[in-house]
Amino acid sequence: MFGYLQPFKDELRMKDHQLYKSVYCGLCKSMKKEYGILSSLTLNYDCTVLAMLYMSLRNEGCHVHIGRCTVNPLKKCMLCSTEGEALRFSGAVSVIMGYHKLMDTMKDSGIFKRTAAAFARLFLRHSYKKAVRAYEKIDALTAEMMDAQAAAEESDAGIDRCADPTAKLISKLCMGFSPHESSAHILEVFGYYVGRWIYIMDAADDLEKDIKHKSFNPFRKYYSGNIKETMAYCNEVLNMTASQIVLSYELLETGAYKAVLDNIIYYGLSYQQRKYTEERYLPKKKDKDYYTLLDDV
Amino acid sequence: MNDPYKILGITPDASDDDVKKAYRKLAKKYHPDRYQNSPLADEASEKMKEINGAYDTIMNMRRGTGSYGRSSYTYSSGGSSSAAGRYSEIRILINNGRFDEAEQRLAEIPPSERNAEWYYLMAVISYHNGWLEEAYNYASTACRLDPDDVEYNSFFSRITKQRAGSYRTYPGTSSSGCCEFLTCMLCSDCFCNICCRR
Repeated sequence: MFGYLQPFKDELRMKDHQLYKSVYCGLCKSMKKEYGILSSLTLNYDCTVLAMLYMSLRNEGCHVHIGRCTVNPLKKCMLCSTEGEALRFSGAVSVIMGYHKLMDTMKDSGIFKRTAAAFARLFLRHSYKKAVRAYEKIDALTAEMMDAQAAAEESDAGIDRCADPTAKLISKLCMGFSPHESSAHILEVFGYYVGRWIYIMDAADDLEKDIKHKSFNPFRKYYSGNIKETMAYCNEVLNMTASQIVLSYELLETGAYKAVLDNIIYYGLSYQQRKYTEERYLPKKKDKDYYTLLDDV
Repeated sequence: MNDPYKILGITPDASDDDVKKAYRKLAKKYHPDRYQNSPLADEASEKMKEINGAYDTIMNMRRGTGSYGRSSYTYSSGGSSSAAGRYSEIRILINNGRFDEAEQRLAEIPPSERNAEWYYLMAVISYHNGWLEEAYNYASTACRLDPDDVEYNSFFSRITKQRAGSYRTYPGTSSSGCCEFLTCMLCSDCFCNICCRR
């Protein structure tokens, strides 16, 4: 249950929300089927969006049926059919990136976290190997991204350079989605800014923790005692990136899941930004604040 | 050729006003100003041409072949008018999409000779490459060095608007949550009156 790209549910119609959930649960199911049950642990919202984008660009929605939840067999849920390249591909992305993230955690964390990561890695190894066998290219790209990331962090680079590896990775993944030549470049740019946005969100999310533990964060340079001010700055950086996402998204021709994707781009991005950069630092939310929140999204 | 009505997102039974409205909305969305210096400027201008073509076709069909005058949103090739001295060649490189070469040429200019235009061109290149923070910093320096230049200022003000969250205007809706909330309150108030009346 993690990831930053999410729809803003209050503005989503019921049927679109169910479609969204069916892709999320379908992806979970597909990962279990393709890469083993433990791979479902790496399931995240960002990969769900990747799967939806893939299907949307080809305008092929998938069959929805009612089935049992992978994690809790007592619960019934709507499931998107597990056939098809979209779910297989984004499932592999999720597993491979999850595995690389664990390897990264093993390198530079405290002893407790390191042991936990080592165990998780052990469990995930089987799934990872299976995913790599099917999609070698994703693994190569992710490894490349991790190296570039480490190099950027070591040289204490600025935000642009730090965000570049993640941005390029998502860019390359999205480029492969293009159903015809003409949209490849749009997808490349779209993916770049989506990756950049995710990286910056992650950095903003971790900032408080990183300041406390004195670990690397591109925003630490901008921190001078007042976290709210730094967050306002993070929000500006995110806004500019989101503007570019919107510009490129509007040139894409989306079909199926258009309503969900529109919601994610036009409402979800800013809602998530607020949630992670501002809201968290406000005093506890009262009921009436909810309306001011809706007003601004 | 594609169906012009489909391109504008309307049906053939739409009124002339609806056609105009749909056209205006799309033309605003894909206006070259919005995509200026963007890596997708070409794609946007293609889209704009498609929309213009669709609108022309529909209007020609509806009014015979007479002229009707599409008043606004003609495509203007937003270009650089002030191309002076050493930067003119670099501007040509940028216009031809040779960003790496342009950047290299700019880097060769010693720091002591860098003026507002240098910072502006660096901002344009960074913006194109997706290095948005650098673009912002360069553009703000360019504006500080030459506060009166229209070109630098329009670029910088666009970036500033983006940073303030201008993208949040969802196309086609202008609902405000606050108003809806108030209307709700007013309505419930009315119902209360009905119930509580004796």
